[in-house]
Amino acid sequence: MFNFAFDSFSGFIVMDGHGVYVWSVFFIVIISLISMFVFYKNELKKLKKKHFNE
Amino acid sequence: MLKKLYHQFASPKTYIVLVDKMYPYIFYISLCVYSLALIWGLAYAPADYLQGNSFRIMYLHVPASFLSQSLYLIMATAAAVFLIWKVKLAAYMIKAIAPIGALVTFIALASGSIWGIPTWGTWWQWDARITSTLILFIMYLGLISLHSSFTNFEKADKFISVLVLIGFVNIPIIKKSVDWWSTLHQPASITLTNKPTIDPSMLYPLFFSMIGFSGLIVCLVILSSKVQIFNRESNKSWVKDNV
Amino acid sequence: MFILFKLELFKLRKKLRAWLGPILVFLLITISFPLTVELASDDLKNVFYSVLWIASLLTVMVSVEGIFLEDYEDGTLENFSVSNDSLFAMVFMKIFIYWLLIGVPISLLGTFFSISMSGQISSINIALPSMLISTYIFINLFSLGNSLSLNKGSVLGALITMPLLFPILILLGKIVLNAGFGFEISNLLLLMLGVLLLIIVCIPFIISFIIRTHLE
Repeated sequence: MFNFAFDSFSGFIVMDGHGVYVWSVFFIVIISLISMFVFYKNELKKLKKKHFNE
Repeated sequence: MLKKLYHQFASPKTYIVLVDKMYPYIFYISLCVYSLALIWGLAYAPADYLQGNSFRIMYLHVPASFLSQSLYLIMATAAAVFLIWKVKLAAYMIKAIAPIGALVTFIALASGSIWGIPTWGTWWQWDARITSTLILFIMYLGLISLHSSFTNFEKADKFISVLVLIGFVNIPIIKKSVDWWSTLHQPASITLTNKPTIDPSMLYPLFFSMIGFSGLIVCLVILSSKVQIFNRESNKSWVKDNV
Repeated sequence: MFILFKLELFKLRKKLRAWLGPILVFLLITISFPLTVELASDDLKNVFYSVLWIASLLTVMVSVEGIFLEDYEDGTLENFSVSNDSLFAMVFMKIFIYWLLIGVPISLLGTFFSISMSGQISSINIALPSMLISTYIFINLFSLGNSLSLNKGSVLGALITMPLLFPILILLGKIVLNAGFGFEISNLLLLMLGVLLLIIVCIPFIISFIIRTHLE
């Protein structure tokens, strides 16, 4: 079950032509998740500042 | 004793304390599980016989679409709780989950349509399940815009709860449409009653991916609900200590 | 109940523009479709039911815009909500009158057009019930949307409830498909009738809750 499914690392990137689709979806997901986390942490920091300044 | 428990959990202060304690665990565990699942699925699972390597998008698409429907179910429960028992925390949760639900539905739609290019030859099709998911996305956006168009927050809470419950008819359509009509989208391979039709070596990374992704989205929901609670209850005394 | 009926009927009949205008809009859309597409081509004959339904959808959306606005502004809505008379009945009657004065004429005109397009009298069986039921459902859903944006007067509320139309449109699409093949459509019509009955009961209740919340 644990065999690397591709012949080489460049095969991993290209994935027999389907690599474009897989990696574009992968990056959409990762970038949106990271940006949401950063956004909410920023909001919490702004709230923290607002309450400490009162 | 049960009533005391219920009253405790309905208070935003107890919720914040509890959630602050659990957040690091949930975040790091789900991050590990999700990374493991993605590496396993993208690199180690065997290629599909019919679809080739593009089936690996499944590990990103299936958790997102499952989660978009589950988030709507949670919002509908919160809306019912708010309308019947007037628990304000439920209204905060609805407002908190809506943007995240929109994001997850967007991920599901985008990954689904990109997956469709190599497999079906088209990136869009007006069949029942895909169109209903688009409607779900529009419902999430409509919820956000409706709430922000009101200055009086109590009214806005009631309207958003009503809208969530009205839009709930969409969820059975999404879930069952692949059974009722024969459409382009494939039927469910994993159901509660039958043996799964996928090979185990592809199935295990899918399970881990669903658990990991759900955990990460739960972390986002926790952060978003904290922002909502601190914004709405900013005049209470306990906010200064816990923010 | 009957007094409410007469009251709402007279209120709407006074505003000639409110119900005659939408009927003219419907006529405009249905007449311009065969003119701009090649006159009575085969494709248009098959999809003409869809043209009728889309035209009625747009007409209803335009016509239901001010359904509660006038009553909200002159205080009638507030009087009703605090009185002993049920707001549910008033909303129900209002929507029913709108359907009688806008939905039914549109359905009759549309049936007439569908007979002239397809050349067979039997298209009454498909066009008339489906248009009657679908116009009533559309009026209900759009008035729900308009009650959400009561004091703003914008179309935000109507746009928000537009996604709810899509299950109905999917059903209507199935009807067109089956009619084109010549299959039985009575089961789908009964399903639409069931949906309509459910909506008739639930929507005025929801709208009265929303109006009460607006007026607090």
